[in-house]
Amino acid sequence: MDNNKKQSASGKAAADSKKRKEAPLNQNQQGKESRPPARPQKRVKFQDARNIRSQPSDAALDDGKLDLQKFLSAREFEIKALETSMRKCKSANATRVFQQVPREMRRRTASHNAKRVPKRLRDRAKREMMEDNTPTVEARKRRPRTTRARIRAENAKRLEKLAARKRKRALQNEAGGENKDEPGKTTIQTRAPRPKIRRDTLNEPPKPKSKFKKRQINKTWLPTHLWHAKRATMTEPTKPLWRFAIPLTPTQKCYRPTHRASGQKGTVFWDTSYMSTARLYGAAGGIEQVLKALGLVQESLWGNRGRKWRSGTRTWSGMVSRRQRNSRRDIGPATILWNPTLTAETAAPESNTTELKKTQRQILIRTHPSCFLELFDELVKLAKLQTPQVHIEDLRFEIGSIELTGPGSTETLLAVLKPYHTEDRHGQVFSSLVGVTNPASLPKDAVLGFSIKDPRLSYPPKRVDTTSKVSDSALLDTLTQWPVEEQVKPYGLFDRDVRFKASSLAPQKSINRRKGASIPGQEMPVTAADPPIPVIAFASRPAAGGQAQGTWTLLAPWKCILPIWYSIVHYPLSTGGNPRLGGLNEQRQIAFEQGTTWFPGDFPGTNAGVVWEMEQRAQRKKAWDRRPKGKRIEWASLDLGAGRKGEIGDGLACDFEHLFGLPTDPSPSSSEDQLTSDVDPNAMDLHPGEEAEDAAKLGKVHKNTVPSLTMVEQMKKTDFQALISSVNPGRPPPRSIISVNITFVTRGVANACARIYRLPSRPSATTTVQSSETEVPATDPVAAGMGSLPADLRDQWLQKIPGNKSGSRSTKAITAHAAPHMSRDVGQGTRKQLMAKSLVSGDPLPYPRPTANQTDIGGGHPLCPGEEDLIGFVTAGAYSLSGGKGTAVGAISAEKAFDMVKESGTKEGRLCIVRNAGENVGWLARWELV
Amino acid sequence: MVRLKDRYLLVNIVYADIPPGQKGPVPDLLLYNQPTIGELRPQTILKGIRSQVNALFGDCGSGSVERSLQVKYLSTATSTFILRISRAHYRLVWAALTFMDRLPVKDGRPCIFRVVRVSGTIRKVEEEAIRRAKLLVLAAKDEMAGKASSDALNALFRGGKDSARNLALVNDDHDDAKIDEGEVSDG
Repeated sequence: MDNNKKQSASGKAAADSKKRKEAPLNQNQQGKESRPPARPQKRVKFQDARNIRSQPSDAALDDGKLDLQKFLSAREFEIKALETSMRKCKSANATRVFQQVPREMRRRTASHNAKRVPKRLRDRAKREMMEDNTPTVEARKRRPRTTRARIRAENAKRLEKLAARKRKRALQNEAGGENKDEPGKTTIQTRAPRPKIRRDTLNEPPKPKSKFKKRQINKTWLPTHLWHAKRATMTEPTKPLWRFAIPLTPTQKCYRPTHRASGQKGTVFWDTSYMSTARLYGAAGGIEQVLKALGLVQESLWGNRGRKWRSGTRTWSGMVSRRQRNSRRDIGPATILWNPTLTAETAAPESNTTELKKTQRQILIRTHPSCFLELFDELVKLAKLQTPQVHIEDLRFEIGSIELTGPGSTETLLAVLKPYHTEDRHGQVFSSLVGVTNPASLPKDAVLGFSIKDPRLSYPPKRVDTTSKVSDSALLDTLTQWPVEEQVKPYGLFDRDVRFKASSLAPQKSINRRKGASIPGQEMPVTAADPPIPVIAFASRPAAGGQAQGTWTLLAPWKCILPIWYSIVHYPLSTGGNPRLGGLNEQRQIAFEQGTTWFPGDFPGTNAGVVWEMEQRAQRKKAWDRRPKGKRIEWASLDLGAGRKGEIGDGLACDFEHLFGLPTDPSPSSSEDQLTSDVDPNAMDLHPGEEAEDAAKLGKVHKNTVPSLTMVEQMKKTDFQALISSVNPGRPPPRSIISVNITFVTRGVANACARIYRLPSRPSATTTVQSSETEVPATDPVAAGMGSLPADLRDQWLQKIPGNKSGSRSTKAITAHAAPHMSRDVGQGTRKQLMAKSLVSGDPLPYPRPTANQTDIGGGHPLCPGEEDLIGFVTAGAYSLSGGKGTAVGAISAEKAFDMVKESGTKEGRLCIVRNAGENVGWLARWELV
Repeated sequence: MVRLKDRYLLVNIVYADIPPGQKGPVPDLLLYNQPTIGELRPQTILKGIRSQVNALFGDCGSGSVERSLQVKYLSTATSTFILRISRAHYRLVWAALTFMDRLPVKDGRPCIFRVVRVSGTIRKVEEEAIRRAKLLVLAAKDEMAGKASSDALNALFRGGKDSARNLALVNDDHDDAKIDEGEVSDG
């Protein structure tokens, strides 16, 4: 009571002081009773709870004599006392409410705030806040400090009055007008508007609720955005990625859990609704022509082997490309799926192919949003060339998708997706997949298209019973025979009306009402109000093959993603826990651990990859600029040994421009003819017009300039392998790169932008004589630098392969460059002699001793090869948890890789040296094509 | 986060100074588990242990035990108490208790301090105390019903030899981790 008075008396001065006051007395209770202050009260409560009551010794004695009855009662008292103590301790635990919030939803800032804990804990949090006298500020009641805020507050007050008046008037009108407007009651029933999808043009994003409109001006939210925004780091509001707000990584630490869930136990899942889908429809012949123009020219697709793909029971995934002046340029990875027809193509005889080509077919093309616009333009261009014309629909915001990987992914999907029609063949096959622990064990690129029930009807999802499955052999039969071809029907997801009908799901309120009416724990029956949701699920294998986990991709109507998502999130896995959330970083991490490339980050030879690389460069530059001068890498002063100074190219970039001698960073004013004059004209295969087109596609960031990186081309693995194995090979095109997976032979971890060198070539006999005998003119810095590199550098590097004993270690060459310092194992006598010598000569032993790194590079460790041996850059690298050593994904020059393999064979030709940007130590590694 | 790690010791005071021939009408069970005199306060127990630790382990031992030793519960009626001691030094206290042969009061009676349970949480110690009290009650009730007294005693202590062996087994245990699991109990 007096406490309260003191506070009010001291007024503002007290409010400004930092010390926390005692909790104010509860205003409501003031009259009834005065409570003691909360904190001492709490302490008393805790002390009381921890005190165990006991009896004096007299209680067990009967007038100083031992007595059985008293003995028993004393024991009983003790039992009771101990039990009460245990009970009281349990109730008086010292945890606060916000400590009970699930780990991934915990926050550090303002965690004490009752408004930031889940609703069920809010009351307790409020009480705790009051007891602790936690200072809180209610924004609404804060005194406006600035003029602007004051004006706003006044305005708000006035508006409130206005609104109240309006409400009152409306009420009056309603009361008065009820009996006179009788006929107005019958209103026209309208159906919900079906979204418009225009042909051959881009689709508009769905109209957000007006509450969320302002936040989606420059981007589109994923269907699960609100869920994600609470649990993951999203892209910055002003900097959306590919016109979407994409979750980058969960807020919870998850690097190792993701690794485990993706490979050993559990599931990782993503909302990949940002992936873009387009539908192509028209005559089968026309579609075939379009696809062939996109680079799907393999015989295996159009011959007998591609029959399953064309009938719609398999997908095709790979890089699509477009034609340039006299070469092809990759656009990006795409998945292509045909819609099955009612009259199965397989049944028709092969003879009347002309008729077949005229049948109307549809395909779905699913691609990455970073290359979608490029692909869409290309598709429109190609579609217009066909007669009869093929049309294209942009289904970006019509079809969403979820991806799952890991051993529990099949199980999760089985629990969530319940086939709507029991007689549906694909649904039956899907339901029989109980016990599959790797999506890659399904037939390659298998597709299942069926309709599912609203997952909210069976929410929360129950654990799939793996014990009562039929048998392993039955499952094996299903997996090998894959009986999906018979009575295959067109997939509902292709049909706009079916999609629309599925999108108008019953509201959550009505589901709740029905749930309340039915028996608890029982699955709710499907009624007419629950439309079937068309889905397509396809399994894909990682490109690396082997035992790696495959991925399930689930396509569903955009608006049905959210209910499916909620069910997946809460599925109790049979191995324990729930599926784990993944973000973009986790996707890249898993690709990296499987040794595969990730689009667009690892594809600098595509336009989307170029944009990514440019953004990464800008980010790295920004981070570098932010560091204090003494703590950032000074690229110019990097000592690479043998008199070489400075980083090769830009240390903050995968500097392919430097590698291929392209002009770096053309200024906006530089015209195209300058670009062409800088590089040799015969190698220039980019048409100026096309260059401008590229620039237009590359987004806003580089509106005026074409990064010269766009001149670099991606080469396919198969093409490269064909070149290697052919007897009379040509050469790979200049300025083409191939993606490689790099594994370190012994130690070393690479980061992004690390430099990849080939092994230096052995100098021929004449050149060695020259370099050792003749005086190199000092004016030629390149030659001088060359001369100082040891001649047997290649052998030194080959020595680094463990188990390679051939050829004695040429210590001379190494020690020649070593700093003259005392080695550890010299005897006392020699030590003295050396000391005396050094004192006399006036050229003392170096002090302080050279750092280990210097001795490594000058002495024990071979030097990095010269700049002429640079072949590529690492785009992603880290210590790989699955490999147990450093691995990396990178891109190397196809020409140089070709030369390496041709000259030194497949074994030695695949060795390379990787050096991190800004460091001078290189490590031996092995590259493999990806 | 740094956390103070403790051990809780449940100790029984057993009076074994009754000459074998002088049994009165009272059963053995009661004789062994007599109530302790009221002068035994928590402070006196601590004092006794500290002086014993000092005698056994010197200044270093008593210094390390000094700060964290605490009596959490003392019931003289049932001759039971619970000690709290830091995890690193609980063995010193245990050893001291083993060597103490009379109550640490003036003209203390000869007795045995029997450590029956070591645990990381007071909860488990309490549970053990309850279990033992229940066992004693059952044994005492059997006694009242007129069953063979020696049997009841045996049920509790498993005979003189067995109990000695059990104690040895208890003292043998040096593993902290195992003690966490709380297998150190006999009876």
